[in-house]
Amino acid sequence: MSSFEDADTEETVTCLQMTVYHPGHQQNGIFQSIRFFNREKLLSSEVVKFGRNSNTCHYMFRDKQVSRVQFSLQLFKKFDSSVLSFEIKNMSKKTNLIVDNKELGYLNKMDLPHKCLVRFGDYQFLMEKKDGESLEFFEIEFSLSTRPLLQENNWLPQKHIPECGSYSSCSTQNNSPIEMGENEW
Amino acid sequence: MERPLTVLRVSLHHPTPGPATFANVPPQLEHDTSPLLVGRGPDAHLRLQLPRLSRRHLSLEPYLEKGGARLAFNLKVLSRKGCVWVNGLTLRFLEQMPLSTVNRVAFSGMQMVVHIEGGTSLEAFVCCFQLSPSPLIYRLQAEETDEWEIIPQKQPPSGSGK
Repeated sequence: MSSFEDADTEETVTCLQMTVYHPGHQQNGIFQSIRFFNREKLLSSEVVKFGRNSNTCHYMFRDKQVSRVQFSLQLFKKFDSSVLSFEIKNMSKKTNLIVDNKELGYLNKMDLPHKCLVRFGDYQFLMEKKDGESLEFFEIEFSLSTRPLLQENNWLPQKHIPECGSYSSCSTQNNSPIEMGENEW
Repeated sequence: MERPLTVLRVSLHHPTPGPATFANVPPQLEHDTSPLLVGRGPDAHLRLQLPRLSRRHLSLEPYLEKGGARLAFNLKVLSRKGCVWVNGLTLRFLEQMPLSTVNRVAFSGMQMVVHIEGGTSLEAFVCCFQLSPSPLIYRLQAEETDEWEIIPQKQPPSGSGK
């Protein structure tokens, strides 16, 4: 029998696709350390950190306005599910992390929705999970957007955050980007 | 002014400890806000020398509840082969649950009781470890354990209440 027929059955792998945008990415080289369109395989138990410190962060942004560790992502398994889920945690004391219309302060965490827009400062990340069978590994793939993601996906920032904290669909009545002041993040 | 640290008072018991089982357990350990790893391996912060324990068996991860002022803790299973019994529930690889103020945890024959005393510091927390010669968890629900977690029933020492 050929090695193809003898080989162990391959499992599909959970993949988190991250599309990133920053208005100054071309002139500032902030995404210089990111390998775009490359699927990186990681252990499912890994806590993946994103930030400015290359020693502690798996993915680094060359920007002094980014915290040394800005946020982290890790996989977990819900009791009633056969697929893996992501959890996002804000690791920055200075900047809140906005996941769709929910705001996370320092050390706050939440389950990452299947598809969502994550923002801090001028950074926008569209994150989308593709489910896989493997419990051992997962993948992250970055792509770059040259246009604001906020406009593309009609995600509109809402100043009022519901007290219950539950996610609700965002209004799509206004399709143009909204100007925000520096202090409104 | 420094804020008081959250304290995790951790009591440990194994029915048949070897000479090295608890050799690497310090009386006290201060840790930052990264996950605290419990296991057999060299990078575990709480190192326990048990052959059936995974190198990274579980983690205790601090976080803040929305609107909360004190650290909360999440226990996550990192062992692919073993499982962890926590407050009546059996958790398997990558499953997790938040800890309460008092927690009973069992894994690989080890019993661990964790009391959380909240402090206001968000920089770090401290673990105080105590070894118990007598069992800490007297009755595990049969349907919530697997064969690794069964603890032999012994007469409880007088005056104890668990």
